Amino acid sequence: MSNLSLFLGCVAPNRYPGIEAATKKTFSKLGIELDDLEGASCCPAPGVFRSFDKTTWLTLASRNIALSEEMDDDLLTICNGCYSTLKEAETELKKDSGLKKEVNEKLFETGHEFRGQHDVRHVIEYLYQNIGVDGIREIVSNQLDLRVAVHYGCHLVQPLKEAGSGLVTNDITFFDELVEATGAKSIDYEDKMMCCGAGGGARAAVQDATLRITEKKLQNMIEEQVDCIVNACPFCHLQFDSGQQDINKNSGTNYEIPVLHYTQLLGLAMGFSPEELGINLNSTNTAVFIQRIKEGFVTA
Amino acid sequence: MISNIERCYQCGQCTSVCPMGEQEQTYRIRRFLQMEKLGLETEESMVVPFIFYCTTCYKCQDNCPQGVNLVDAVLAIREKAVHKGKMLEAHKKVGQMLINYGHAVPTNTDAMEKRGLLGLEERPPTVQASIEGLSEIKTLMRLTGFDKLVAESEVEEQLTENAAMVQQADFTQQQVAEEKA
Ligand code: SF4
Ligand code: SF4
Repeated sequence: MSNLSLFLGCVAPNRYPGIEAATKKTFSKLGIELDDLEGASCCPAPGVFRSFDKTTWLTLASRNIALSEEMDDDLLTICNGCYSTLKEAETELKKDSGLKKEVNEKLFETGHEFRGQHDVRHVIEYLYQNIGVDGIREIVSNQLDLRVAVHYGCHLVQPLKEAGSGLVTNDITFFDELVEATGAKSIDYEDKMMCCGAGGGARAAVQDATLRITEKKLQNMIEEQVDCIVNACPFCHLQFDSGQQDINKNSGTNYEIPVLHYTQLLGLAMGFSPEELGINLNSTNTAVFIQRIKEGFVTA
Repeated sequence: MISNIERCYQCGQCTSVCPMGEQEQTYRIRRFLQMEKLGLETEESMVVPFIFYCTTCYKCQDNCPQGVNLVDAVLAIREKAVHKGKMLEAHKKVGQMLINYGHAVPTNTDAMEKRGLLGLEERPPTVQASIEGLSEIKTLMRLTGFDKLVAESEVEEQLTENAAMVQQADFTQQQVAEEKA
C-alpha cells in the first residue's frame, strides 16, 4: 500500500487550521505519518472553477495529484470539495488517454506529469475502509458521551456513489459508524442528507439564501438536542460555524452549536485536548462545550 | 446538446426538491434546463445571475426520473456564460485570488496567528510557501488562458434580492402557476 500525502486545500489551512492539526495528530496516533504536499494549490474548487473553465480546472487538479505521485503517495484529502475535484479529475484522466496527453503537455512545461498510478482518498472513506470501525474503537482511549448531528456533505456522497464504492446505499451509515466508534451517539434528524448551503460558489453569489438553507438544518439539529455538529469538510464547517454568527447578526438569533470536523472529534476520543485540536478557535463560542468535555463529558 | 438534458420531460421533480429553489423564488432549475434546451440565448438575462446560485448539491439529480445529469448541465451552462464574458463580481474576485495566490481562499493574519497557537508553520506548506509552486500555477493558467478569461470578463451586476424579485416577479408567477397545473 502506498504512503499518504496530506492535501490541505484552502479553507482548512487558511481558516480552520485546527482541522489540519487534528488530522496530523490523529493519523500519527494511528501510526501513519502524512507527507506534506509541498507547493500544492487550490484543488481547484469544483463548483466555481470547473464551471468557469473546465480545462483550467482539470490542469490544476492534475498538477496536485502529480505532486503526490512524485512522492509515490496516495493523496489524502480532508475536504469534500477537494475530494469531488480531485477524484473526478483522477477518474477522467485515468480513463481518457487523449485527455491525459493534453493535460500532460501543459504539465510538462512545469516539470510535472500525471501518471495515474495512485489514488485520491477522502479521510472518512480512508478511515472506514483502511482502519475500520473496529480499528478506531480499539485506538480510542476516551469514550465521548455526546449527541452528535452528523453532516455528510454532498461532495462526500456523490463521488463515492460515482466510484461505485458500495458505501452509498439508501441507508447510508459509514460516517455515523465512525462517529459512534468514539462512544458518541449519532442522532437522526430531519433532512439529514440536505446540503449545508455553501457549495457551488453559492456562498459567494447569494449568501443570504445559502444561510437560510443552513438555518433550516440548524433548526432540525436543535430539535433533536444535539451537543455538536460533526462534518467531513472545512467548507461545510465554515458555513455552519461562521454561518451561525452571520445568522445571529442578521436576524438577532442566538445559535451556538459547536462545529467539529471528524478528525477533531476523533482527536478528543484519543485524548488530545480541545485546544490542541483548535476546537476553541471556531467563530461560534465553544467554551461551554469545552468545559463539559473537560468535566467528564468523556469517560476515560 | 450539453450533458444529457434532451432526456428531460419537464416533470419538475428537480425543482421540487431543490434547496435553493425553496429559499430563492427566482431559482428554478427546471426552467433553466428548458431554456437551454430551446436555445433561448436572448433570454440569457433570466439565467445569469441565477444559474450561479446552484449549490451543486445533487438533490435534483438524485430525484430525476429521467437520469438527467443536472449538475453537469448547470456547470456547462455557467461555463458558456463565463466564456461569453459574464461572471458575477464575487466569482471574479475568487478567480483573481486563484490567479494571484494559487488559493481561492488565501491566508490572512488571523489564520497565521491561529496556526501559531496550534504549533503549525505560520504559512502552510502549499503554494503559499513556495515561489516556485506559485510560478508553476501561473504558467499553467497562462497556458489555459484562465488569466485572460477572468481579466476580460465584464462583471454581471449581482442583483440585490429585492431587485431580483421584482425583475422576476411575472416570470415566477407564471412558473408557480405552471407547477401547480
Ligand atoms: S426531474 Fe428530470 S425530467 Fe423532471 S424536469 Fe427535472 S430534469 Fe427534467
Ligand atoms: S444541485 Fe443545484 S439545482 Fe440541483 S437541487 Fe442542488 S441547488 Fe438545486
